[in-house]
Amino acid sequence: MGRYILKRLLLLIPVLLGVLVVVFIVLRCFTTDPAAMMLGQHASTQQVEALRVKLGLNKPLYVQFGTYLWQILHGDFGRSLMTKTPVLHEIGIRFPATIELALFAITLATIFGIVMGVVAAVKRNTIWDYFTMVGALLGVSMPIYWLGLLLIILFAVMLGWLPASGRIDIGLEPAHVTGLYLLDSIITKNWASFISALKHIILPGIALASYSTAIIARMTRSTMLEVLPQDYIRTARAKGLKESTVIYKHTLRNSLIPVVTVIGLQMGALLGGAVLTETVFSWPGLGSRVVEAILAADYPMVQGSVIVIAVIFVIVNLIVDIIYSFLDPRIHYS
Amino acid sequence: MRRGKILISIIVGLGLLISAVGCGGNTSTGATGAKDTLVFAQGADPRGLDPALVDDGESAKVIANVFETLVKYKEDSTEIEPCLATSWEKSADGKEWTFKLRQGVKFHDGTDFDANAVKFTVDRQLPPQVTADMPYASFTFGPVKEVQVVDKYTVKFILKEPYAPFLANLAMSLAAPIVSPAAVKKYGDDFTNNPVGTGPYKFVKWDKGQQVVLEANPNYWGPQPKMKKVVFKIVKENSVRASDLITGAADIIDGVDPNDVAKLEKSKMLVAKDAGMNINYMGFICDRPPFNNVKLRQAVSYAINKEELVKYLYKDLAQVAPSMLPDFIPGYDPSLKGIPYDPEKAKQLLKEAGYPNGLKVKMITYSNPRPYNPVGGEKLAAAVQAQLAKVGIQAEIQSYPWKEYKDALFKVADGAQIFFYGWTGDNGDPDNFLSLLETKEIESSLNSAKYSNPQVDKLLVEGRTTLDMNRRIEIYKELQKIVENDAPWVFISHGKTLAAYRPGVKNFKYHPTGVVHLWNVEK
Repeated sequence: MGRYILKRLLLLIPVLLGVLVVVFIVLRCFTTDPAAMMLGQHASTQQVEALRVKLGLNKPLYVQFGTYLWQILHGDFGRSLMTKTPVLHEIGIRFPATIELALFAITLATIFGIVMGVVAAVKRNTIWDYFTMVGALLGVSMPIYWLGLLLIILFAVMLGWLPASGRIDIGLEPAHVTGLYLLDSIITKNWASFISALKHIILPGIALASYSTAIIARMTRSTMLEVLPQDYIRTARAKGLKESTVIYKHTLRNSLIPVVTVIGLQMGALLGGAVLTETVFSWPGLGSRVVEAILAADYPMVQGSVIVIAVIFVIVNLIVDIIYSFLDPRIHYS
Repeated sequence: MRRGKILISIIVGLGLLISAVGCGGNTSTGATGAKDTLVFAQGADPRGLDPALVDDGESAKVIANVFETLVKYKEDSTEIEPCLATSWEKSADGKEWTFKLRQGVKFHDGTDFDANAVKFTVDRQLPPQVTADMPYASFTFGPVKEVQVVDKYTVKFILKEPYAPFLANLAMSLAAPIVSPAAVKKYGDDFTNNPVGTGPYKFVKWDKGQQVVLEANPNYWGPQPKMKKVVFKIVKENSVRASDLITGAADIIDGVDPNDVAKLEKSKMLVAKDAGMNINYMGFICDRPPFNNVKLRQAVSYAINKEELVKYLYKDLAQVAPSMLPDFIPGYDPSLKGIPYDPEKAKQLLKEAGYPNGLKVKMITYSNPRPYNPVGGEKLAAAVQAQLAKVGIQAEIQSYPWKEYKDALFKVADGAQIFFYGWTGDNGDPDNFLSLLETKEIESSLNSAKYSNPQVDKLLVEGRTTLDMNRRIEIYKELQKIVENDAPWVFISHGKTLAAYRPGVKNFKYHPTGVVHLWNVEK
C-alpha cells in the first residue's frame, strides 16, 4: 500500500507539469496584457513596455516558463500583480474558506444523496421514488447561480432567517486556528461565532450541494437497483434477516463503490467549482479570487491557485482509491 | 423498518436544526446592525491600500478614509480647499509652490506628520525611487522636479514648468495621500496591507475578500468621526448587495444595479444618483476626409438625439452632456447648451458640406460596458446608427474587444471615420478633460479624434500656466465655445454613480471623484 501511495504521489509531477503548461499558455494567449491592465488609461506605450520588461513578459514564452518553474521549485510562487501580496500567502488566506464550504456541502450532499437514493431504490416506482428523482432532476438542472439567488430571496429577504452574504457576522470572527470558522469556533468554544458561521454557511452550502446531492442520489439508486435482484440478497432475505439489515449491510455496502467514486469526484469539483457559489454569496474563498485574478490577467495568482487546486484534486482521488480497499476487501493495491 | 424511521428522524432533525438556527432572531441585523458600526458594502476587494500602488475605485474609497492629502476637494465640487496644508502660495513664475502644514497632526502609528513626511511620500514616486507599477506616479507627480523641506512645517514643491492643475493633483485619493514614512519603512512591500495615514479612521484589519475594518482615530485633528467602527464589506453580486441593504446587513451600498432601484425604493431604501466625473462621447477622426470638414461634423452632430439616447439606453444611469465638463468641475459653463437635435438642420448642413444625397460612414466601437457607458459601445453605436439613417447617413459598425480597441483607434483601423469612446477624470481639474483635444496629445493617443486647432492649443497652455482660478475659468469658457463650434466630439452623457443607503443613515454623500468620505456619516 505504501509503495502504491508513493507511486501515485510521484505521478503528481507529470500531472502538475501538464496543468502548468496548459494554464501558462492559455493565460498568455487569451487574456489582456497585465502590464497595460496595471497601468490604466494614462500609460504611454513606453511605460507599459518598461513594466513588461520588469515583469519579464518581454522574454520568449519558454524562458518565462523556465524561470517560473525554477522559482516554484524553490517555493517562490511570486507576488500577485493585483495586490502585490505573495501568492502563497493569499492562497493561505482564501483556501480555508473554500475547504470549509466544500466540506460542508459534500457532507450535506453525501447524507441527503445516499438517503434519497436508498429510498428511491427501495420504494421503486412509488411516489417516494418519483418525488426524490424529480428532486434530483431539479438539482442537476438548476443553475447554482439561480438557485443561490432564489435561496437569498426566500431565506434572507422574505423570511429574514439567514444572512445573504459573507462568512460570519462582522466582529464575530473566531481566533485563527485552522481558518475554518466552524472548526475554529468549536476549538475555541466560541459558540456565538459558531452559530453565526453556521447561519452563514447554510445557504451557500445548500446551493453548492444541490448538484452533488442529485448526482449521488441517482448513482446510489441505480447501483442499489443493480444489487437488489442479486442472488445473495435473495439468500439474505430467505435466511430471514431483517429487511433493514438486508438493505444497509448487504445492498448498500455493495453498492457504495461507484458512489464513493462519485463523491470523490464531486469533492474535487466542489473545491474547484465553488466559483459561482462563492461569487453569489460573497464567500471569500479561492474560487472567486481566481476569477478576479483571471479577469485582471494576474498570472502568478492564477498559476499558483491552479497548482494548489490540482494538487488537492489528485490527493482527493488518491484518498478515494484507498477507501475502495476498505469497502471491498477484494481490491488490493500493490 | 426501524432504521428507516431513524433516517427520517435524522432528516427531519436536520431540517429543524436549519430552521432553528435561522429563527434565532433576525440574523442579518445581529452584529452588523451594531449602532456604532457603519457597514459600507462594495463590489470588490481593494487591490491594495498603499495609495502609490493602486488605481481602482474600491481601493480609493478605503484610502480616502484612512489617509489625507495636503489639499482636498469641496464637498460638492472639485474646487480645492485646505486639508493637511493650511495655506499655500505660488511664486510669480508659477514654478514654486510653498505649503504651510497643519501642526500637531499625528499619523496613526503615533509619529508626527511634518514636511519630511510630505517629501518622503512624493520622493518614493519620483525618479530614481519610482517603480514601474505605480500607476498614478507620473500623472500626479510628473510635473514635480523636486520637493524641499523648508522647515518642519513648510514644504516647497519645485515644478519643471508652471502647471496650474498641479494643485488639483494633490487632492487625489490615489498617489497623493501622505503616508507615514516610519510605517512604509517598517512594513516595506507589505505597507499595502498595513496602511498608516492621518485620516479620521484608522486601519484595523483586512480579511481578504471579506471586509476591511477601520476604527475611529481618537487623536484626529479635525472633528471626531461619528462612528466607532467602519466596515467595508465585500459583496460581489449587485442584487445580493441590494438584499444585504434591505435586510440591514449593510448600511450603505454602491454599484447599485438600475434594475434594483425600484425594489430598493419600494423597501424604503434611499437611492442616491450623483453625477460622476466622466464623459461618454462619439468622436470624429478630424485629420482626414471626410471629417476634416467642420460642416460635416456639425451636420452629424445635429442628427444625434442625445436626450433619446440617454432616456432609452441609460435611464437612471446617466445625464445628457451639454458640454465636455461635468457640472461640478470649475470651468463648466451653463450657458453652453451643445449642438441640439435638429434633423432638418442636419440635412441642410449635409448639402452645404457637399453631400446632398447623404453618405456612408465607418464607425468603430468597443464591445464591453465602461463606467461612462454601462450598456457597452455596441448598443450605443447601434442606436446612433439608427438616428443617422434618418438623415440619410448610412453607418457601418465595427466592434472590438476593449483590449484591442485602444490600439485600433490609435491606428485608425479599418478606415474608421467615427468612433465611440469616453474618459474618466482623475483630478477634477478642467485641464484633465479639455487637454484631450490638445494637438500634442495626438501622439500619446489621448487625443483620439486627432483634432488640432492652434487656438485651442494656445488657450490650453494659457490655462495651465495661469495661476488665478477665476482667470482660468474664463479661458476655459472661451475654449469650450470654440470646441462646440468645431464639433470634434459629440458629447453624449455623463455617467452617474448609483448608491443606496438605509433610512437611518445621515450625511451620506458620494463625492463626484468617486470616493466617499465617511467621517461625518452616522446612523
